[in-house]
Amino acid sequence: MNSTKNNKKITIKVSNLKKYFKVYKKEPGLLGSIKSLWKRSYETVKAVDDVSFEITEGEIVGFIGQNGAGKTTTLKMLSGLLYPTEGETSVLGFNPWDRKTEFQKQFALVMGQKNQLWWDLPAIESFHLNKAIYEIPDKVFDETLSKLSKILDVEDILRIQVRKLSLGQRMKCEIIAALLHNPKVLFLDEPTIGLDVVMQKTLRDFIKTYNKEFGATIILTSHYMGDVKELCERVIMIDKGHKIYDGNLADIINKYARNKILSLTLENSVLRKDLEQFGKVKSFKNNQATLIVPRKEATKIASKILNQFKVNDLNIEEVPIEVVIREIFGDKKIH
Amino acid sequence: MTKYLTLLKITWQNGLVYRLSLFTWRLRSFLSSLMSLTVWTVIFTSNNGAFGYSKESMITYIFLVAFLQSLIISSSLNGLAGRLYSGEISNYLLKPINLFGYFAIQEVADKFKNILFLILESYFLFLIFKPIIIFPDYKILLLFVVWSFGGLILNFIISLLFGSMGFWSPQAWGPKFIFFMMIEFTAGKLFPLDILPIYLQKIIYFTPFPYLSFVQIQLFLERLNSQEIIKHSIVLTLWILILGLLTHKIWTKGLKSYESVGI
Repeated sequence: MNSTKNNKKITIKVSNLKKYFKVYKKEPGLLGSIKSLWKRSYETVKAVDDVSFEITEGEIVGFIGQNGAGKTTTLKMLSGLLYPTEGETSVLGFNPWDRKTEFQKQFALVMGQKNQLWWDLPAIESFHLNKAIYEIPDKVFDETLSKLSKILDVEDILRIQVRKLSLGQRMKCEIIAALLHNPKVLFLDEPTIGLDVVMQKTLRDFIKTYNKEFGATIILTSHYMGDVKELCERVIMIDKGHKIYDGNLADIINKYARNKILSLTLENSVLRKDLEQFGKVKSFKNNQATLIVPRKEATKIASKILNQFKVNDLNIEEVPIEVVIREIFGDKKIH
Repeated sequence: MTKYLTLLKITWQNGLVYRLSLFTWRLRSFLSSLMSLTVWTVIFTSNNGAFGYSKESMITYIFLVAFLQSLIISSSLNGLAGRLYSGEISNYLLKPINLFGYFAIQEVADKFKNILFLILESYFLFLIFKPIIIFPDYKILLLFVVWSFGGLILNFIISLLFGSMGFWSPQAWGPKFIFFMMIEFTAGKLFPLDILPIYLQKIIYFTPFPYLSFVQIQLFLERLNSQEIIKHSIVLTLWILILGLLTHKIWTKGLKSYESVGI
């Protein structure tokens, strides 16, 4: 049974989820390879380690984390592909591992780097196969296909062998194949990977529209902060298998950003070292300067600057979210 | 049911994309039968019988081997372990379709294609050798069909069993290669097993391999008495049940270890 949170239906519930893999550790070089013939050492990799969260109906949540953080592994467990080492998962009230038909008809997993389309046949053949597998009525199939192919502008390429399509065209066909059965839950793993900026924008707009139109619950992982910023109000940050943040994207700045950016346009020329007393000078050219200042003292420093110099323009800005996230994931020196 | 029929159609379409590879593969199979028939025809030119087989029964044997090779032994699941290890089956685990149903459809598509070509090839072989094929009575023929179907199921199970190695290791080709060698030798593909010494035959009968072609052919050639027919019927059923159960257990365990790499 689905429970509720703030009067909203909980679609996805994950409790203390763990997935450990045993991996073979090879010593480097030829000697290591020879040794491995009779003796091998293994180590346990904790891909996902005690992760819990809930997602309500219609939410778009961004999964952020570095490569190997455990994002895709979590999505695979939510899809029923991987069997959790420990913990509970529930999607639409189903345990994904049971792979019940009623569950599988209501969700889709799209992987940017893998395709479900039959490589040697035109995409339309894979669409017809999905129509049969998901038991989509003729009328619904025709309507959905014509709508999706119009929005994504692929009407002309549906009868061309998939292997002859460009990456962008293929990705769009992948999205169509995944959405033909109008899933209520959508897991998108790097859906815009390798696409040009125009195509990325088209896909983002499309995901937004799909979410609104169908009230679909969506989890999105992406390396492009642009995707996450535009689509997700809420993000879950995963680092080395642990959940380290779960909340509004905007709140990450309040919680983690230690600095603010002060941009100045000065009336008269000053020396660089005159500004260095207020904070780290990031750029300084033609009386225009950008300073990185401690977040809590930003207002105080700004008023000091205003007192000391003739200032034409002054702006206090937040550090870009990308930078804050980079900082959280280890590169602590940036700001 | 519609989903499996559509899958069957798309699998055929996919199999017909690369014409050259299809043609060369069938040519190999044709030449293999042509070679066997030539060798045995030469052997029988100077003898009326050899190894307890008359010329007609040996020629029938060779045609049956070619037929059962396409129907039972050839399998689309030969590279299954690699497909499991590379995460290829993930697409089907995500969809409302039975994974084994999907494998079975691939097998049906593959075998149907084989048989279609085999009929065409046999026509040419008939024109060349003008053989006399001995047919048994209809009861035996019916049982032959049932046993052949049993052999087909048995090979499907064995293929799944070998394939399941892919859950844990990519190195399934070694054991599979040994399996191929065993089949060449012990399913009666190269020569009838009953030309081997008795003790070797006894050992071979402890394995499921003779049930992948040889016993079916023996039945067709009416070389089995009623007691042997009952015994082989039971053993074939037991092999299917035991290996089927084992495969089911291993796959249940394997799917829990499945790493879905690449996807």
